[in-house]
Amino acid sequence: MNALARHRRLTAIWSSEPGWKGWLSTVNHSDVGRMFIVTASFHFLVGGILAMLIRAQLATPNSAFAGPEIYSQLFTMHGTIMMFLFAIPMIEGLAIYLLPKMLGTRDLAYPRLTAYGYWCYFFGGAMLLISLVFGIAPDGGWFMYPPLTGRIHSPGINTDFWLIGITFVEISAICAAVEFTVSILKYRAPGMTLGKMPVFAWYMLVVSLMILTGFPPLILGSILLELERAFALPFFQVELGGDSLLWQHLFWLFGHPEVYIIFLPAAGMVSTILPVMASTTLLGYRWVVAAAVALAILSFGLWVHHMFTTGIPHMGLAFFSAASTLVAVPTAVQVFAWIGTMWKGTPQLRLPMLHILGFFITFVIGGLTGVMVAVVPFDWQVHDTAFVTAHLHYVLFGGFVFPVLAGIYYWLPLVTGNRRFFRLGKVAFALIFAGFHVTFLAMHWVGLMGQRRRISTYAPEDGWTAINLISSVGGFVLAFGLAVVLIEVVLSFVVRHRAPRNPWGSGMLEWAIPRPSAAYNFASLPRVNSRDPLWDDQNLPVRIARGEGYLGDPASGRRETLMIDSATAEPEQLVIYPANTRLPIVLAAVTGLFFLSLLLKIYLITPLAIAGVVALGWRWVWRLGSKQDLGDQPIGHGVAVPTIAEVSRPPGWWGSVFLLVANATLFGSLLFGYAFLWTIAPGWPPPAFIAPSLPTMLAAAVGAALAVAGVAIAVRTNRNGGTPVSGLLAAVAGALGLVAVFAMMLWSAPPAAGHAYNATVMVLGSYGLVHAALASLMLIFLLARHRAGYMSQRRRGELAIVKVWTMYLAGVTGLVVPAVYLPGLVT
Amino acid sequence: MKDLLRILVSPVVWLASFSAIYALHGLICQLDPGASEPFGVSLSRITLIAAFVLAVLVQAGLLALLYSLRFGAAPGFARSVSRMSGWVGLVATLWTLFPTLAVSSCGW
Ligand code: HEM
Ligand SMILES: [Cu+2]
Repeated sequence: MNALARHRRLTAIWSSEPGWKGWLSTVNHSDVGRMFIVTASFHFLVGGILAMLIRAQLATPNSAFAGPEIYSQLFTMHGTIMMFLFAIPMIEGLAIYLLPKMLGTRDLAYPRLTAYGYWCYFFGGAMLLISLVFGIAPDGGWFMYPPLTGRIHSPGINTDFWLIGITFVEISAICAAVEFTVSILKYRAPGMTLGKMPVFAWYMLVVSLMILTGFPPLILGSILLELERAFALPFFQVELGGDSLLWQHLFWLFGHPEVYIIFLPAAGMVSTILPVMASTTLLGYRWVVAAAVALAILSFGLWVHHMFTTGIPHMGLAFFSAASTLVAVPTAVQVFAWIGTMWKGTPQLRLPMLHILGFFITFVIGGLTGVMVAVVPFDWQVHDTAFVTAHLHYVLFGGFVFPVLAGIYYWLPLVTGNRRFFRLGKVAFALIFAGFHVTFLAMHWVGLMGQRRRISTYAPEDGWTAINLISSVGGFVLAFGLAVVLIEVVLSFVVRHRAPRNPWGSGMLEWAIPRPSAAYNFASLPRVNSRDPLWDDQNLPVRIARGEGYLGDPASGRRETLMIDSATAEPEQLVIYPANTRLPIVLAAVTGLFFLSLLLKIYLITPLAIAGVVALGWRWVWRLGSKQDLGDQPIGHGVAVPTIAEVSRPPGWWGSVFLLVANATLFGSLLFGYAFLWTIAPGWPPPAFIAPSLPTMLAAAVGAALAVAGVAIAVRTNRNGGTPVSGLLAAVAGALGLVAVFAMMLWSAPPAAGHAYNATVMVLGSYGLVHAALASLMLIFLLARHRAGYMSQRRRGELAIVKVWTMYLAGVTGLVVPAVYLPGLVT
Repeated sequence: MKDLLRILVSPVVWLASFSAIYALHGLICQLDPGASEPFGVSLSRITLIAAFVLAVLVQAGLLALLYSLRFGAAPGFARSVSRMSGWVGLVATLWTLFPTLAVSSCGW
């Protein structure tokens, strides 16, 4: 088979359906990545228009352009859209598109999940945009502090749009994070050990772990606040044992890491592009990786610096002030690595490089003002002024938008296959750079002069008029520059002017594939020996196309790639992907129905939607696997590996583990909230603790033990060639017993609206109930799979997956039951 | 996967001890143990300092493990990165928790 025939054959196997229907059923990472990028750009446009409206309003004193109600919606939606609907999805899109190409594989770990995440983002984003169109958009600021956002002060549906819509959108972030983690750890070209991974993959690995542990506190906070708004569960109401500061903790536990979740991928792009622009390699790869890890973890210890003005004791202030200054060190390490890289090489001022320089200058200034506000007394002065908004734009625009623009210009030839024809880029850069600095330097200045943020207008006597006008003019220049970028990008899709392969002379694998990129990425999977395989072997693209790597023979007609051992990077499993399907969009729509029913308070539909999600989820997993043992499959070069159905740690196992990391963080945040209310909130202890019920506690212990032992026995007997049915039946009995236990717990609990303690008990019990029901369902699914012939001594992967979830259930039971009953037992 | 663990462990343990000591401090301020002062230093201060010292010792222990032949990574990428992050954990512990020694405790 020659290269062209192989290309045709692989394209037939991998491509999406032709026509517009293809968009609905595609699960290919290149397609979904592009869809993410386009949708995120659209949201950037909307957010940008809102910013222009804000600047129009503030341009003159006593402006009557927008009243305070509308103004509140404008800045809230601007911040919300930029953070949740532009920045994070843009990263997801870029990484979804690029990672498999950089890692030398054919797709991400879970193609259908990629598509599901996209559609959740699409529908959730649409929900928020609709609220904007109807003038009922969220208006409590992008961090939505109660009591302002509580029922009493925000009775309308506006706040609910935020809480429910954003939670819906976050599903996509969690999906993407699980996917990236597993893909980076397990889906790489053979030979690509951790130390040979592209640095961007390292950044994305770190960021994904941050998303898994950073987003759950926000999701929990949103759930609690929505429960308070919809059902009067008083988590944040001081009169009833709640505390509005709990929201601030949960929000910033998410919010500060979020800033780094946005910045680190951008830094990853800089670390990737900069060396190429300087025709050299990154200086201090190991230092940079260590700095990224340090930055990621340190950023979780900073959250209280957003709360310096809430009456935190001195020593607490000192802890977080110290931690906030410390992050400057790893940031500086990265900056010095970049400077050193330029020093070492011969930097050329090509277009991506211009944006990287824009990033440097802007981000360093933002970092310096960041250190200023990390100093507590200074922060007390400028807190909630335009100085802080200016600072955050230096960090976000400088640290994110400039690198993304660099990335767009850098990877555009890969996406379009064309080179840029009209030379608009430099003009655009000049407009953006000048416009940005004029806008936000001016805002620092009025901030120091006392202009508060989020004020819809001011008086001429305040003396801010001229500066605000300058800032607004700068804003419009900036917007004009961004519009030029958009025009240029669109043009380079339309105007055919074929780019050479690898136009920048990079050494990385994404440039070793056809351009525009083919649906299958690599005609055969290369073996990698260094971080710049293309520099080692100029001929690599040709050898890949000729099928000289692994999996070069597309005879099976399946979508295939390899999973490797994460340490040695040797082939371990043969992945067989599911093909195009509309299941993701349908599942996302039904998930959306669930959220919509909560938003519109049509609770009759809620159980229907849940049933729909369960049924579709069942179908989703049922389609995988095989009814016979396939045995080890040849993958070329005389190597044979088992398929993913016939190993004990299939992709689903890895995915479950990382999903449970996020889940455990959610649960941990809930326990934190419980402890926080207990110790800090006034109005504790509650009027009465729940009376412990010995039978329930006993039943919980027995149920958990039975479930875990049952699965363990099932795994063991199956491994020895026996039937797992009796073990599974015992496990089902245990899990169903736990369903009953948690149902009893909820049934006998005092009215949840009475006190924050009762409300917390209700949430804890529900959490247990959901997990018990889920584990029961999975165990029953296994029984059905066994009956249908999907399981054998070799095909054991599904058992291993359910085992993890059952053990998690047991752990949850072991924590929820004491958390609920112990207080009553002790007092 | 073990290498990843080696790279992450010290900073993660820093995060755990940092949060734990912050929580401990919050708890102490809430319970207000009063003015029992064994050596002219308040009991709450002693507790906090003890926790600080413990956290530093744990980090030092981890660093020693990362440098040891038995638990450390094989020579190469993972070894150098895990040692760097080991130092990060230790320095972060010293720097972010030294206020236990120096700053007034529960005052505003
Ligand atoms: C396109 C250029 C942009 C302009 C001209 C702009 C302008 C502004 C202005 C004037 C405010 C202050 C509103 C007020 O406090 O009254 C603001 C708030 C904010 N902006 Fe931007 N912005 C831009 C881009 C971005 C980007 C790219 C991001 C994030 C990735 C972002 C995130 C935010 C956030 C989080 C807030 C705070 C919202 C709140 O107070 O609730 N902005 N922006
Ligand atoms: Cu912060």
